[in-house]
Amino acid sequence: MIAWGFILTIASSLIFPGIVMKTKAILEGRKGPGLLQPLFDIGRLLRKGSVYSHTTSLVFQIAPVMYLASVIIAAFFIPFGETSGLLSFECDFVFFAYLLAIGKFMMIIAAMDTGSGFEGMGANREALYSMLVEPAFFILMGSLVLLTNSVSLHDFYTNIYSSSHLTYLLVIVGVFLLLQISLVENSRLPVDDPKTHLELTMVHEVMVLDHSGFDMAIIHYSTGLKFALFGSLIANFLIPASASVGTQSIVFMLVQIGCAVLIGISESFRARNKMAKNPQWILTLSATALIVFLASLILTHKFMDIDPVGDGTHCFSGLPDPYP
Amino acid sequence: MIFFFIILFAISLIYLALTERVARFITLLIIQGILLAGIAYWHLKHIDVIHLSFILLETLVVKSIGIPVFLNYLRKRNRLNRLNESKVPTFVSILILSAGLVFGFLLSNYLQDTHIETIFFAVAISSVIAGLFFIISHRNVFTHLIGYLVIQNGIFLMSLSVGAEMPMLINNAILLDLFISVLVLGIFINKVGDTFQNLTVDGLSQLKH
Repeated sequence: MIAWGFILTIASSLIFPGIVMKTKAILEGRKGPGLLQPLFDIGRLLRKGSVYSHTTSLVFQIAPVMYLASVIIAAFFIPFGETSGLLSFECDFVFFAYLLAIGKFMMIIAAMDTGSGFEGMGANREALYSMLVEPAFFILMGSLVLLTNSVSLHDFYTNIYSSSHLTYLLVIVGVFLLLQISLVENSRLPVDDPKTHLELTMVHEVMVLDHSGFDMAIIHYSTGLKFALFGSLIANFLIPASASVGTQSIVFMLVQIGCAVLIGISESFRARNKMAKNPQWILTLSATALIVFLASLILTHKFMDIDPVGDGTHCFSGLPDPYP
Repeated sequence: MIFFFIILFAISLIYLALTERVARFITLLIIQGILLAGIAYWHLKHIDVIHLSFILLETLVVKSIGIPVFLNYLRKRNRLNRLNESKVPTFVSILILSAGLVFGFLLSNYLQDTHIETIFFAVAISSVIAGLFFIISHRNVFTHLIGYLVIQNGIFLMSLSVGAEMPMLINNAILLDLFISVLVLGIFINKVGDTFQNLTVDGLSQLKH
């Protein structure tokens, strides 16, 4: 049972890219490929060998495997409802974030290793966007620490709704932020467009131009898995704690599918940002996370007094103070 | 619910710094108007119906419908699509607005008083700072008008923070002030647009010569 979150995350990662593609195809008036087409593509690539440029070194060859390994290990930390993940310890969310960062770092140095100007440019952009999105993730996690008075991913989900009814409202903003962070982390619209064919405007795609065959398959699958990771973080907020495992699993998968459909819809109707606008768009996420953090400080009485009369009720709702 | 609306209002201030399209500025003002209506309704629902209806009319009809329709008319008449004439880069603007928000919260924390609803006050101060910064950092008259409206929204929130309700007379005066300012600035924008075919205020400094 402890591995159930991991199994569901892996299962959803298999269909996640397919659902995004299918949603986009339907909205564009096309029949589109089947849900499993991305998997078939990965299978086809896995049967091929990899071609390596003479200018590349061992770093380039091990980077895709390291990328996949880091994302899979990060998936070990995904809890399922009130059950912890395969791995869980205090401050595991920091480890989770930096596992994903290690994978990204490997891909960046692999891109630099090729010696290509285009790939270096893509690596530069990817590093900048990752650096800018990191504060948003950590401020959001800081808010969860405050609200739940706990320091692990599993405890966040266990304690989040036991604190205050106002937490539900902050979770809505938190889910919105996680969805946006996942778009940046996976280099999707509006930050990057995976469909672009011009190297000058690429971010993630230009970094992996020199990879082929088996390595390319690994990179494609890792991207899908990373999407599913963020989908799982969102799904855990919405799983009803008192329901049976079957119901929880259905809700988990429905939320994953919902996230994929939402991304497909947003990519169909959204224009890509100009390259120069990306940093400020990503910074907005950190600023929004800061507001959530300030709200969490207020809710936990660490800052300001929302019960100035001292009658034990919230001045907003008149309901009993959850932190007497 | 009030808490959630206030958080959304604070987020809308950040998105104001990110925006360049005039249509989106107007959308943000509509959203702010609706949020203010929600905050006012939940905060003041115990007061008498006439007074509450007036406040809801002020926020929903005037702030969310009337003024945005007028701004939209100005936008179309002066062919305004995009306003990227800010003197401060957007990246820096977002940092400054975030600092403004933190300052608002710190000030509110410092001024804690049983007569002040602190979180209302914090976001109200932040809104006034955002509006002022918006006016200072832009050259276009239209964005000055947007900044003014953001300040007005902040003042409305501030009025909610210091007591349950404002006297009807003061409410009327603020509404009249809002109407006149928007109308006068609207006419001013049209005149500037007709004369200079451009809404930046740089040319106005030449008038003294």
